[in-house]
Amino acid sequence: MNLRRRLLWALGLGWSSTPSLFAQHVLQEPLLQPYVGANAVQKGRVKLEIARLADNGFNVPLKVSVQSPMTAQDHVRRLLLLSNRNPRPLMAGFEFGPGSDQVLISTRVRLGGSQTVYALAQTSDGIWWLDTAEVEVTESACLDQT
Amino acid sequence: MTTKTIKNQNQVALTRRQFVVSSAFASGGLALGFHFPAAAQSNELSTLGGSEINAWVVVRPDDSCVIRIARAEMGQGTHTGLAQLVAEELECDWAKVSLQTFTPGQNLARKRVWRNMSTGGSRGIRESHEYVRQGGAAARIMLLQAAAAEWKVSVNELSVEKGVVTHAASGKTTSYGKLASQASKLPAPDPKSIVLKHPRDWKVLGKSPRRLDTAPKVNGSLKYGIDTVLPGMQYAAIKACPVFGGKLVSFDASKISSRRGIKAVVRVDDESVAVLADSFWRAKSALEVLPITWDFGPNGKESSATIAERLREGLTSTNNVFADIDQGNVAEAIQGAAKKIEAVYGTPFVSHACMEPMNCTARVTADRAEVWVPSQNAEASLAALAAVTGLPLEKCEAYNPPLGGGFGRRGGTQDYVRQAALIAKQFPGTPIKLIWTREEDMTHDFFRPIGQCRLVAGIDAKGDMVGLHLRVSGQSINAYVSPHNIVDGKDRRQLQGYWKDPGESQLGYTVPNLKVEYAMRNTHVPVGPWRGVNTNQNAIYLECFMDEVAKAAGKDPLAFRRNLIKNHPKHLGVLDAVADKGGWDKPLAPGMFRGIAQFMGYGSYTAAIAEVSIKGNDVKVHRLILATNCGHAVNPVQIASQIEGSVAYGMDSLQSESSVKDGRIVEKNFDTYPIARMYQMPKIESVIAPTYDFWGGVGEPTICVVAPAILNAIAAARGGKPVRMLPLKNEGLRLV
Repeated sequence: MNLRRRLLWALGLGWSSTPSLFAQHVLQEPLLQPYVGANAVQKGRVKLEIARLADNGFNVPLKVSVQSPMTAQDHVRRLLLLSNRNPRPLMAGFEFGPGSDQVLISTRVRLGGSQTVYALAQTSDGIWWLDTAEVEVTESACLDQT
Repeated sequence: MTTKTIKNQNQVALTRRQFVVSSAFASGGLALGFHFPAAAQSNELSTLGGSEINAWVVVRPDDSCVIRIARAEMGQGTHTGLAQLVAEELECDWAKVSLQTFTPGQNLARKRVWRNMSTGGSRGIRESHEYVRQGGAAARIMLLQAAAAEWKVSVNELSVEKGVVTHAASGKTTSYGKLASQASKLPAPDPKSIVLKHPRDWKVLGKSPRRLDTAPKVNGSLKYGIDTVLPGMQYAAIKACPVFGGKLVSFDASKISSRRGIKAVVRVDDESVAVLADSFWRAKSALEVLPITWDFGPNGKESSATIAERLREGLTSTNNVFADIDQGNVAEAIQGAAKKIEAVYGTPFVSHACMEPMNCTARVTADRAEVWVPSQNAEASLAALAAVTGLPLEKCEAYNPPLGGGFGRRGGTQDYVRQAALIAKQFPGTPIKLIWTREEDMTHDFFRPIGQCRLVAGIDAKGDMVGLHLRVSGQSINAYVSPHNIVDGKDRRQLQGYWKDPGESQLGYTVPNLKVEYAMRNTHVPVGPWRGVNTNQNAIYLECFMDEVAKAAGKDPLAFRRNLIKNHPKHLGVLDAVADKGGWDKPLAPGMFRGIAQFMGYGSYTAAIAEVSIKGNDVKVHRLILATNCGHAVNPVQIASQIEGSVAYGMDSLQSESSVKDGRIVEKNFDTYPIARMYQMPKIESVIAPTYDFWGGVGEPTICVVAPAILNAIAAARGGKPVRMLPLKNEGLRLV
């Protein structure tokens, strides 16, 4: 919780001044806008591992790693886990710095139904890197189409 | 607590076992078969000696066509209906069609090319009709392209019938079997370019070819999940704490370990213990005498009375209530009405009571896990297996034999898979067949949620309804199994059938001042979807009350409904259809009484009329007429069969109840939990009235009108005295 609060505080202060950089595959998804602002987002560097199927969404294990030398010049600043179906899209946030040896997290998240999970990492050059995964949360049997 | 180790008696891997159950029908040696992947060694699905044209269609050299089916068969006939959809567009010879099922692992390996395997919500056909028909059409286009290429003619010059392709100009003919190999190498056509047939051109759809799975059921060769036998298999009987939420403290295995055939006694999880033996009987008998200490916890004090009290509070409380519809001013309208009618209805917890109790066979090693499980969603079974074993999905597999009944119990709630996997994990390599006793099955169901409903209506001097206030107070399924479907604290699912929005489960009546509310009042009892889900209770509440209001207004129940329903022509259509078929305006024999009901669920419109007589406390249902508009009628005989099954299920829920005492379920077997018997079944007549402008469900929507039609007939027979609190025994009545 502390981490998330700290992260949100950091997001509020830091983002507007981050330079917008050229990226080959700029993704523009409304879900990402509140977090990345006008910054470029591209695929790569982030690896999100999560099972394609979950029999329920109560606690779904996942793993995220980000390729980075983690030096003072080139490191991962933060990593966000986003959901495109949960009532609160930001599931978790993690902060890193050059002191971190590597970026590798393993956790469990709650998923409100079948959806796309986003792992979004910002490197020290301001670029946001993204990996996504589809997860099918199998529903109870006679669920109507609500 | 002790655990005995089982010797690993047999770790020989099964060879691929594709069994084909064939039946030859009298008409022209028609050979129809099933191909079940009983145990596959790879994720690759067999082409059974033919050529795979696309994911849905394999054509063999002898012109026979194999159609792949993603959904589970549990008696509802979906395998036949889905095959008809593909065959219609494929233009193959129906007499040469067989079916092939596949595993969720195979679906995943091909990036879910077959999409959803979940079987529930009456979704099998209405959700997939478009893409499975496109699969059949794409295969036909490719086969025709192969013929055109071979003859060097345009595809437009070709015609096809029953898998025989003809070029009229040259008089050449060939067949699918000869074209299959070439066709399988062609690129698939763009789905957007495919035009599906209009229902008026249907040849296989809209007809009722014989079901493809009848013969093996009748001759006993069909293997259900409970029939699974693997080399070296051990049997497990399980007992979970009878009080929901209670815990397993300890057990004394030494008291039973010397009994014949006992292999081990194991703790399965925080709440259950299992006995393993070389036969199920030995496992079950030993478990019955195993000394077990439970911690029942605070739920041990709960009873039907405490639960009923909680629901009653919700009927009038202002706490934790939301209005899904609040139009006009209900309070004022009812206050100013010429007459006010008020009633409280109640429906109990009921059990699914599948004929085949919950079971699952599991084999787990360090790098592979498999289950053989009758499941309404094999992908959910696979996911549960992976979660328990910690193995990736690719190293797990779930085989899905036909189900001996599902009714919602075998869907997203995979408790029996988890248990079997937890046990099998303790004995690597040994197949463990877990079977629940009937008592365990009825003690640990995910019950149909208990509910009460308070209804208040006002009618004006002319007898028209000017206001209706309806509040459901009861347990929420979503809160228990899928809380993410509760949006902003509003669980609309419990108001199924009362929705304003069209398409799925719309309220048919137009009342100028209307308030529909739900007060969520949860209990410690697990709840889940029960065939028809909340339409069942909600139809009883509203449709029985409608009769009470009609009586107070001095109006005929049909005429009263027709007046309120006129803005919803499809609701009105089935109501009129059933009234016409049932001869509502014609006199009945002395002593006979009628009741009528209508409702909407699962995208379909239904209505029913019941004819009932009462002698003393014995209620005899003589005749039931049911009408449905399910949009498109794929297989009319199957629809009629589903309607008949719906009657049995609807009649179950009039007489059965899972009551609670000391925190646990009281009714544990059919001696105390009556279900519909043969002698109780009435004459059933169905009216299938499709309008061909939408696709609705069939398996569930007709159940909900059965009970209210019968209850309204009972009320008519009792001079207007309604039955408001089910089951019927609460009024001293029984079905004969």
